[in-house]
Amino acid sequence: MADTSSKPDHFEVRVLRQDGPQASSYWERHRVRYEPDMNVISVLQRIASQSQTVDGKEVSPVAWECNCLEEVCGACTMVVNGRVRQACTALVDRLMAEQESDIELQPMSKFPVQRDLVVERRRMFRGLEKSKAWVTVDTYGPMGAGPRISQTEQENNYPLSQCMSCGCCLEACPQYTKVELVQGDSESDDAFAERQDSTFDGEFVGAHAISQVMLFNGHPIAKNDANERLDSLMAPGGIQVCGNAQNCVAVCPKEIPLTTSIARAGRATTVRAITKFFG
Amino acid sequence: MATKLSAPFLVRHEFLLRRLHSLSGLVPVGAYMVVHLITNATIWSGAGTFQRAVNQIHSLGPVLPLVEWAFIFLPILFHGLYGIVIIRSGLPNNGSYSYFTNIRYTLQRASGLIAFLFIMWHVFHMHGWIHNSQWREFIEGIGGKFFPFNAATTATDAIQASFLIRAAYFVGVVACVFHLANGIWTMGITWGLWTTPEAQRKANCVAGSIGAVLLGIGLLAWAGFALRSSDSDAERALENKIIDARIEAGQITEGEAKHKRVPTEKKRSSADVGETVLGET
Ligand code: HEM
Ligand code: SF4
Ligand code: SF4
Ligand code: FES
Repeated sequence: MADTSSKPDHFEVRVLRQDGPQASSYWERHRVRYEPDMNVISVLQRIASQSQTVDGKEVSPVAWECNCLEEVCGACTMVVNGRVRQACTALVDRLMAEQESDIELQPMSKFPVQRDLVVERRRMFRGLEKSKAWVTVDTYGPMGAGPRISQTEQENNYPLSQCMSCGCCLEACPQYTKVELVQGDSESDDAFAERQDSTFDGEFVGAHAISQVMLFNGHPIAKNDANERLDSLMAPGGIQVCGNAQNCVAVCPKEIPLTTSIARAGRATTVRAITKFFG
Repeated sequence: MATKLSAPFLVRHEFLLRRLHSLSGLVPVGAYMVVHLITNATIWSGAGTFQRAVNQIHSLGPVLPLVEWAFIFLPILFHGLYGIVIIRSGLPNNGSYSYFTNIRYTLQRASGLIAFLFIMWHVFHMHGWIHNSQWREFIEGIGGKFFPFNAATTATDAIQASFLIRAAYFVGVVACVFHLANGIWTMGITWGLWTTPEAQRKANCVAGSIGAVLLGIGLLAWAGFALRSSDSDAERALENKIIDARIEAGQITEGEAKHKRVPTEKKRSSADVGETVLGET
C-alpha cells in the first residue's frame, strides 16, 4: 500500500518529555530509520532501544503505555502531530502523507503526566463511578433469563458500549480543563485519593461519561438507577458544562455518537429537573 | 450526589443557572432583539412611522423603566455577566482542532463579548440606562444624544457623528445576530430538541436561515441610521409637529414632552449635523 520508493532513509521524531510528576517538560529530538508499515508504537520501540538523541546524547528511554495494539484498550492515547489519537493505529506512512516534516509526540494535556507520554487518567474513572456506569445486580443467585432487548435498543446501545475510556473526547474538549493536585508530604495515599475525587466531582465529567449514562439508562436492568445517573449529570461539573463545540464526536476513535448522547441527556435532564421541581 | 452546602452559590446551582442562561438568551433577550431590530428598520418608512413606533413604547409612561429593567436590562445583564463566567471556564483550542463546530464555539464566545461591550455602550449612548433628567443632561454632554420624541433625527445624528460610531454599530449588530442564530442551534442541543446528527444538520439550516433574515433586517436598520441620507430639517419639523399635536390632544403633558424632545433653546444648527452626513442635500 505504501509507496516506499519515495520514503526517506530516516525521519525525525520530536518528543515532549517529562522526568516525573510536576517536573518541567522539555523537547527532545530522535532520529529513526524508516521501515515500511511502522506505527508510532514501533517508532517508540526504536527510540527506546537507541536511547540516543539526534545529537548523539545518551538519554533514558522515553516512557509510554500500550497494551492491545489494535485500538481497543485506549492505553496508548497521546497527542500525535497536534491531534489526540492512539499511537498503535497512528501509521508512519499516513503521518508522512499528511505532514511532510517530523513526527511530534506529546502526552495528553488534560491529565497529569506521570512520566514522558504516560498520563494519570484517574479522573475519567471517577467520572464513570460518579455516574454509576454499571449494571446493579443485587444477588449472586440465578435470576432466570434476562429481559429481551429489542433490535432498535440494541442498535442504539451497541455503539455506546464500544467506549474504551481512552480520553480523546476529553483531550479535545474546550470545556474540559486539566486538574492536577499535588500530594502533601504528610498526606496518606487514601486521603490524597479522596481529595482528588472530591475535586474531580466539581469539574466537568466529560462526554464519555455522559454517553455511558445514556448507555446504562437504556439497559433494561441498569435503568433502575436511571434517575440517580441523571442527578449525577445535573450536579456541579455535569452536562451543563458542555458548550457544544462537538470536538468530542469528531475525535472519538470509536465513532461513538457522543453529541447525540449529549443532546439526549440534555432532554432527559430537562424532564428530570422539571419533574423534581414539581415533586 | 448531594452537593456540599459549603460550595459557592455559582457551583451549587450550576445546572439551573446554565439552563436559565440558555433560556434568557432566547427569551427575553433574543426575542427583544428581534423586535428592536424590526422597529429600527421601520426608519425606512420615514421619520413619522418610526416616531409612532417609538411613541408606542413610550406610551407605557411611568412603568416603562420597570418594564425595561425587568424584561430587558436585568435579563441582558444576567445573561452577559454569567456568559463571562462561562467564557472563563473554557479553553478554546481551534489551533489543534479546527472543526467547523469548534470555530463556532469560539465565535459564540467572541460575539458574546463583543455584544456585551456593544450593548453596555449602546444603551449608554442612546438611553443613559436610567430616566433621570439631570443624569440625562450630564451624559448628553459626554455623548448621549437620543431624545425619544425626536427619535429619527436624534438617533441619526448620534450614529452619524463619526465613522467610528457607525463602524461600532455595524460590528455590534453583526455580532449580536450571529450570536443569536448560533445560540438557537446550540440551545436545541442543550435542551434536547435536536439529538441525531441528521436532526442537528437540519436545525443548522433553520438557525442559519433565521440568522440570514435577521442579518438582513439588522443591516437594514443599521443602514437606516448610519447611511440613510435625509432632509433632517424637514424630519425634525415633522417630529415637532407630532409632539405639538399630541400635547394638544392631551396624550402627553407639556412636562413629559420637555424631557423627551430636543431642548428648544438648543436650536439645531447645521453644524450639529456635521459634514459626516452622507449625501445630505
Ligand atoms: C443581544 C444579546 C444576546 C443574545 C440575543 C444572546 C443569545 C444567546 C443564546 C440564544 C444563546 C444560546 C444558549 C445555549 O446554547 O443554550 C447564547 C449563548 C451564550 N451567550 Fe448570549 N446572547 C446575548 C448576549 C450575550 C452577551 C453579552 C454575552 C457575554 C459576554 C453572551 C454570552 C454567551 C455565551 C458564553 C453563550 C454560550 C453558552 C453555552 O454554550 O453554554 N451572550 N446567547
Ligand atoms: S467516548 Fe470515544 S473518545 Fe471518549 S473515551 Fe470513549 S472511546 Fe475514547
Ligand atoms: S460537545 Fe461538549 S463535551 Fe463535546 S467537545 Fe464540545 S464542549 Fe466538550
Ligand atoms: S495499545 Fe490499545 S489502543 Fe493502542
